[in-house]
Amino acid sequence: MGPVEDSPNPQPASNGPETLQIGKASATERAPNSSEKFYFWLSGREIVNPFDIVEADQLEGTRTFGLVTNIEQSTDAPSHLSNFISSDFGSVETTPQTPRQGVNVAEVSVLANFDPAEPKKYPMGIYMPVQSDSPIRFADEAGIHVALGIDKMFDYEREYGEKITIPAGLIRMSNGAKVRVFLDKRYVLGPEGAHVNIAGISGLATKTSYAMFLIQSIIQTVGSKDIAVIILNVKQNDLLVIDKARKNPKPEELAAWEYLGLKPKPFENVRYLLPWGKETQTTGLPNSFGEPPSQYQTYAYSLDDVIGNRANRGPGLDLLIRVPDPWDTLGALIGEIQHGIANQEPSWRPVRTWNDLLNGPPLMQAGVPQRVSNVEARSVGRFVRVLRRVVRNRQSGVFVEQRGERRAVNLGEEIRKIEGGQTTVIDIAKLTDEERALVFGHIIQEVYAMYAEASVDDSGELPKKVIIFVDELNKYAPGRRDDTSSSILEYVLDIAARGRSLGLILISAEQFMSEVHGQVIGNASTKVIGRSDSAELSQAAYRFIPQDVKAHLTRLDKGELLLSHPIYRQSVRIEFPMPAYQSIGH
Amino acid sequence: MTNPFAPLQPALQVITREAKVLPATGQAMEDLMRPDHEEVIDRLRQGDEKVREVLIESPNREAYVALQPIHRTDRHLLRYFLDGSARTFFLGDAVEGNRRSPIHVAQIGAAAVWRADSGALRVAGAVHKIVLMLDKKALSFSDQVERLVQEAGPRFGFLDTMEADGESERTAPGKEPRSRAAHKAHHRMAMEEEKLGRGLERPSDQWLVLDGSLGKDLHPWHDVSSFFGVTKSFSREPIFKLPGARGGKVVNLYELLAALPFSFRTCAFAARSGKVAVWYVRLREQRQLDYPLMGVIKVELPNPTTNAVPTDLVNELSCALVAERQATPHGKDIRWHAHLYPIYMAEQTVKNGFISTEALKAGIKWPTMVALVGEG
Repeated sequence: MGPVEDSPNPQPASNGPETLQIGKASATERAPNSSEKFYFWLSGREIVNPFDIVEADQLEGTRTFGLVTNIEQSTDAPSHLSNFISSDFGSVETTPQTPRQGVNVAEVSVLANFDPAEPKKYPMGIYMPVQSDSPIRFADEAGIHVALGIDKMFDYEREYGEKITIPAGLIRMSNGAKVRVFLDKRYVLGPEGAHVNIAGISGLATKTSYAMFLIQSIIQTVGSKDIAVIILNVKQNDLLVIDKARKNPKPEELAAWEYLGLKPKPFENVRYLLPWGKETQTTGLPNSFGEPPSQYQTYAYSLDDVIGNRANRGPGLDLLIRVPDPWDTLGALIGEIQHGIANQEPSWRPVRTWNDLLNGPPLMQAGVPQRVSNVEARSVGRFVRVLRRVVRNRQSGVFVEQRGERRAVNLGEEIRKIEGGQTTVIDIAKLTDEERALVFGHIIQEVYAMYAEASVDDSGELPKKVIIFVDELNKYAPGRRDDTSSSILEYVLDIAARGRSLGLILISAEQFMSEVHGQVIGNASTKVIGRSDSAELSQAAYRFIPQDVKAHLTRLDKGELLLSHPIYRQSVRIEFPMPAYQSIGH
Repeated sequence: MTNPFAPLQPALQVITREAKVLPATGQAMEDLMRPDHEEVIDRLRQGDEKVREVLIESPNREAYVALQPIHRTDRHLLRYFLDGSARTFFLGDAVEGNRRSPIHVAQIGAAAVWRADSGALRVAGAVHKIVLMLDKKALSFSDQVERLVQEAGPRFGFLDTMEADGESERTAPGKEPRSRAAHKAHHRMAMEEEKLGRGLERPSDQWLVLDGSLGKDLHPWHDVSSFFGVTKSFSREPIFKLPGARGGKVVNLYELLAALPFSFRTCAFAARSGKVAVWYVRLREQRQLDYPLMGVIKVELPNPTTNAVPTDLVNELSCALVAERQATPHGKDIRWHAHLYPIYMAEQTVKNGFISTEALKAGIKWPTMVALVGEG
C-alpha cells in the first residue's frame, strides 16, 4: 500500500510474500491465457521490462514461471480521437483533472512449472493456463534457475559429483535483482552439443569480450588443465595482451566476477604467434599492431610450409586461390604442383621457393606459361597470375622465400605443440584476406588432423578439448556458397558437425549470422546475439527468436546479449563483466 | 466456478411448480428503460415548479458568471463521485389461472470512487444485488417466493414490480408490469446509491458528487454535508426569470443555455421551495458541439436552511466542475460532453461487477418438470 493520501481507507503496509506481488494474471475474451503464454496487469507503481522473469501461482500449489516478452498499455479510449477530444480538443497545455484510466499489461511466455512439494505430486509440472487473478511476483534466483532448467544441472552435479555449470553472465531484473545464469558443459564442450556462435553489429566491443569472458569462465570452472585454447586476433592488438592484468578495473566489475564464482584474472600460460612482415628482416619486429608482447614467436610461410612434404602435409595452395574454378582446372593444376613438390618428382625438384614456382619451369619458361600435364598453358597462366597477386604483389610479408628456422616458425608445427591449460594467440590482424584464410585453414586442418587421425595411443597426449575462437566467421564459412568458396568451408563444416565428438569446440563470432553457413549456425548449440538491426533480424537465421523479443534486440546496450542455450526454454538477456586483461584496442 | 445464480433456484422451482411458465424466447433477455429516463426523473423531481424566478445566491445578481477552472493541484475540492447502474432481464411469464406476472431478475449496483491528489481513483465503496421481480398480487404463491429469495442470502433481494414508489409508476412508459420492471429496478438502484452515499465516511472538505438530480426526499441526508448532484440530461420544461434592468427578462431553457458561454455558469435559482439551489455550468465550447444544450450540466445543491447560498461557494464548486471536463468518455458514452469522467468510472465500477449476460443466461434456467418430479 502507498502513502495515506493514496487511499480513502489507509491500510497498514503488509508484510510477507504479498508485498512482492506486482500484479495479477488476466485472461479475457480476446486475450485468453494458454499453456504457452499468459497476461498479467501491473499494479500502479510497478515496472517490468521485456526479459524479466516472473512467477505466477498455479493450480495445486505449484508455480509457473514465464519470461516477459512485451508490455502494452490500454485505456478506455476507443480511439485516438477520443484522447484528442478528452484533452480539451487538442490542448497540449492542460492536465486532466482525472487521468484517463489505463492499465499496463505484460505478455509472458511460459517457461516452466514447478511443484515445491516433496515428493512431487506433479513431477511433470502443470501446464494448465495460469488462472485469471493469480498473483504475479518477480521470480528470485532459485525460481529463475528452475524456469531456465539450470536447477537440473545442479541436480546432476550433486548426483555425479562432476562440475558441469559454466557461469555465463547475469540476468538483471527490473526489481534490481541480479541472477547468475550458467551454461551446461555437456552442451558447450560436448558430448550432447557443442560450439558457441556470437552475432551482433560491430563497434560495441561486446562479441569478443563475451567470447573471452566465456573462455575464461570455461577454463576456471570445468577444465584448467584439460583444455587448450587457440585464439585468432583479427583486430588491432586487442588480444595480444591477454596475459596482462587490467589496470584499475571498476569495483563493480570485480564484484560481478566474484559473484559469478570466477576470479578476475588475465589468461595464464599464453603463447603469441605473430606474422612475419616485410620489415621484420630489418627491424626484427613482427607484422602486428602496436608493441608486440614480451614473449612471442613469429611465423611465416615459405613454399615448403604451404605445400608440406610426405610426412607433414601443408595447408595447401588451394587455400590461396579463391577465384571461380567451375571446371576444376586450377584444382587439377594445384594437385599436380603439390604432388610434384611434395614427392620431389624430377621435373619439380628445382622448385624450392615462391620465386621458382612463379617464374621458372615447369610452370613458366622465359616469362611464358607452359602446359603442365593435361592443364592448358593459359590456365597455368591464370594460376600464376592469381598466385603472384597473393604471395607477391598484395602480400603482407608472411610469404617468404626461405624461412629461417630460428627467426620464424612453421605455424602447423606450433599448433601441434598445443597443451592443455595453454592459450595460443595467433595474430592475423594485418594479414590480407587470402593470408587470413590460409592461416585459419591451416589451424583447423592441423587441429582436425591431430584429433581425427590420432591413434588410440596418441590421443592420450592431446588436450581433452581444444577451443578455437575466431571472429569474422562469415569470411571462412559464408552463408552463400559460390564458386569462390575455398576448401576451408569443408573443414569448418566438419568441425561444426563432428567437432563435439572429437573435442574440438568452435567459438565463433560475426556481425551477421545470416551470412554464415547454416550448418555452422545450426550446429552451434549456444547462440549469443548482441544488438542487431531489424533488417538482419528478419533473416531466416533468427527464426528461433520470438517476434516480440526480436524488437528488443535492436536496442540492446553495450555489454548486453541475448543468450540461447539448449537447456533454456527461452532466450534470456544477460550482462557480463568485462574481461580482466588489458583491453588496448577498446 | 459455482453458478452465482444457484441460490435463486428454489424460488424458481416454486414458480415452475405452482404456475405455468412461458420462458422468454432465447433464454433471459434484457429489458431496457426508456432512453430519456434521466430527463424524465429530473422532470418528475422538480414537481410543479415550472418557473424559476427566485435567485438564491448572494451577493451575485448577474445572470451569467465567468469561471476560472480550479485544478486539483491548486485546490482539490471534489473527491468522491457516486453512480449506480441496473440491468434487468426478462425470464418469462408465470401464468396462474387467469392471472399472469412477468418474472424478471435485475442486477443492481452502486459505487463510489475517491480521487487522490495525484488524480488516481480508488473504489471507496460498492454494493451489488441480484433482485428477483414479479407482480406480487398476480400470483398466489408470491409470499413463498419472496421468502425463498430473502433466504438465499444478503446479496439477493425481492421486488414487487407493481408496488408504487412514487416514481416508477410515473416514469415507466406503460402500466404493464413488463414495461415497469426496468424502472422499478432503477428506483431500487437509486435507493442503494443514496444509502451508499450517505454512509461514506469523509471529511467535510471532501465533496461528494452524485450522478443525477437529488432525490425527492432529502430528509435522510439532513446530517450529511458537502454533496451535490450533477445531471447530464435535464428537464427542458422550466422557464427562467433572469435578473436585470426593468425587472429582468423571462427566457426558456434553450435561450438560457444558448447565451451561456464556455466556462460560465448561470445564476443559482431556488428549487423545491428554496431547499435546493439549481444552476447550470457550461463545460465545453459550443462551437465544438451540435446544439446549445450539449456540454452543459445542471447542478443541484441542497440548501436545507432555504437561506441564500454564498456566491463564493457556488463559484467554487462550478470552477471545480469546469476543471472536470478532462478526461471524457468520448466514444464510450453518447452523453460524453456532459459526463464527468470520475462519475463514468464509478458507473464502470458497478457495471464491471455485474455478472455477464452470457453467464446470466447460462446460470438462470427454468427447472424442467422432469427435474422437479425427480426431486420428489
